[in-house]
Amino acid sequence: MTDTPLLSVRDLAVRFRTGAGQVRAVDGVSFDVRRGETLAVLGESGSGKSVTAQAIMGILPRPAGEVVAGSIVYDGRDLLAEDPNRVRKLRGDEIAMVFQDPLSSLNPVFRVGWQIGEMFRRHRGASRRDARAAAVELMERVGIPAARRRVDDFPHQFSGGMRQRIMIAMALALKPRLLIADEPTTALDVTVQAQIMRLLADLRREEGMALVLITHDLGVVADVADRALLMYAGRAVETGDIREVYDHAAHPYTRGLMASIPDLDAPRERLTPVRGAPPNLLDLPSGCSFHPRCPHATDRCSVDDPVLRPIDGRPEEHRSACHYAEEVLAGEREPV
Amino acid sequence: MSASPSEPLLSVRELHTTFPIRSALLRRVTGHIQAVAGVSFDLRPGETLGLVGESGSGKSTLARTVIGLEKAASGTVTFDGRELTSASPAELRAARRDIQMIFQDPYSSLNPRRTAGQIVAEAWEIHPDVVSRSRWRDEVSDLLARVGLDPSHADRYPHQFSGGQRQRLGIARALALKPKIVICDEAVSALDVSIQAQVLNLLADLQADLGLTYLFIAHDLSVVRHVADRVAVMYLGRVVEVADQEEIFQRPTHPYTQALLSAVPVPRPWDQPQRESIIIGGDVPSPADPPSGCRFRTRCWKAQDVCAQVEPALEIRLGLHPSACHFAELLSAAPGNSPEGSLTPGG
Repeated sequence: MTDTPLLSVRDLAVRFRTGAGQVRAVDGVSFDVRRGETLAVLGESGSGKSVTAQAIMGILPRPAGEVVAGSIVYDGRDLLAEDPNRVRKLRGDEIAMVFQDPLSSLNPVFRVGWQIGEMFRRHRGASRRDARAAAVELMERVGIPAARRRVDDFPHQFSGGMRQRIMIAMALALKPRLLIADEPTTALDVTVQAQIMRLLADLRREEGMALVLITHDLGVVADVADRALLMYAGRAVETGDIREVYDHAAHPYTRGLMASIPDLDAPRERLTPVRGAPPNLLDLPSGCSFHPRCPHATDRCSVDDPVLRPIDGRPEEHRSACHYAEEVLAGEREPV
Repeated sequence: MSASPSEPLLSVRELHTTFPIRSALLRRVTGHIQAVAGVSFDLRPGETLGLVGESGSGKSTLARTVIGLEKAASGTVTFDGRELTSASPAELRAARRDIQMIFQDPYSSLNPRRTAGQIVAEAWEIHPDVVSRSRWRDEVSDLLARVGLDPSHADRYPHQFSGGQRQRLGIARALALKPKIVICDEAVSALDVSIQAQVLNLLADLQADLGLTYLFIAHDLSVVRHVADRVAVMYLGRVVEVADQEEIFQRPTHPYTQALLSAVPVPRPWDQPQRESIIIGGDVPSPADPPSGCRFRTRCWKAQDVCAQVEPALEIRLGLHPSACHFAELLSAAPGNSPEGSLTPGG
């Protein structure tokens, strides 16, 4: 392993044109994904976490969405600057993605084995027979029982959890070095969610690939992620080692999210959620976008837009985009 | 809210709800889905009963049957001494006024062509004795304020509200008839976590202020633990375990409850190094063709021959609380802890 990150996103900005005007769905986001690590990208709806993934994969809805600034460097190659055809091949071969809703991502009229096998036929020039054998092998690998018998079934004949396994099988087919999973378990039941998270963690370890897990659920990734990136209104607001970020949250939004989760061990305690609602991207607050909801906000926050920066007394890697990160961390600034 | 020793407000006995399966061509009935297969429970005045289960467990169908949106195949629903499944339409209408529902998706359950004020006032057209027409305006303002909405927004349409605000509007509508029972069907599941917490706090305040009784249906156990006094766990149309909230989370005896609890993601797993996860295989079987005997046996690591032959009754086991498992037992963990210890499920 080398020290250069596998994926390096710098100052990424994505603009969407809507009927009501233009929005910056992602606004100056930078982060790295190292070889073999798991990064959790966390945020609520409208935070820009899925749009960031779409930009990396080159699947922004056109013509509404467009990358307007920044770079996405994968293994030394700038995906935004290179020849689109070569980039498309790279994205198919080395970067794969799993989506929230497996049913709408699978073609309902083709047998699942054929759809998995298509990866081998198109990208590797495999024969039908070889592709089918490889599909069965992959289905077994992702834990689909009786794979040999079920390879000729259609997507609707599988349960939600099994469909997500099929999507994961397709994503793994070409042995990607980076897998991006966008809310991979959100549509699944709790017991099935646990199965899929364990499967992803096992596969990541065995294949040595890097994993980007995008989710709104802070709990679901805590077991498997190495690092966390919190997003709010298109910006990165906090990042660092996941345990460091969860245990020593230094951004008021991260703190608010943690306080919003009902605690299994402290039932009936009143929750202290973030007040208000996420902002309208068409009409973002001045300064720090979070300031109208922030218990720590001062006049400075409505003028001066904070950038991600290291926090005094915490590891260099841990960064927060808050003027008062140290005070938030120390609990010195009591919420008003 | 402690349960009063008096009569239960709502009493459900051996309730069954079935849906016909029809053939594609001739629409002949070829089978039945038993969505609710013999469920009994009591709802005591002022309490919150949490109803948890995964998709296909029948929890939403159960709620819809209680409120009369689905017809019961058999069994009884008794509200305030009146038996609803055999009640006359007039009696039924009166009872429905007292039992209101909040749905998961606030957008699709609100009429987009009506203003917030009209949505809240709509029920008074059917039940004119609740609020006289001259007081509608004031009452709408009061209700909007009570759920944390700006009363001056009564003229806005649902699309002009955010998701959290729409759910507040759905709550205001449910409260318009001054119900005794509010059924919350995944009422916070579609909301972002910060908004979800706000709505949970609102529901707690309303219960304290108005003495409401909640039937709180959710798949998220941390949410249920947060709101419920008692919890019933459903699997494939049946209740498998029911107990006080503290009891069910600390001393579950049914393997399904144990697996469900262990699958709940915790935000800081490193604070619970002892926590061992029980990951059960497979998915919930089809309710059209449920397993014989115990419905959970196909995913259960304890299953024996008897489980396929004899359906375990929901009865008090180990001297603790009702559990529908032939092999009900506590996890080997010390009481008061999350699942941990030597348990290693197979399969």
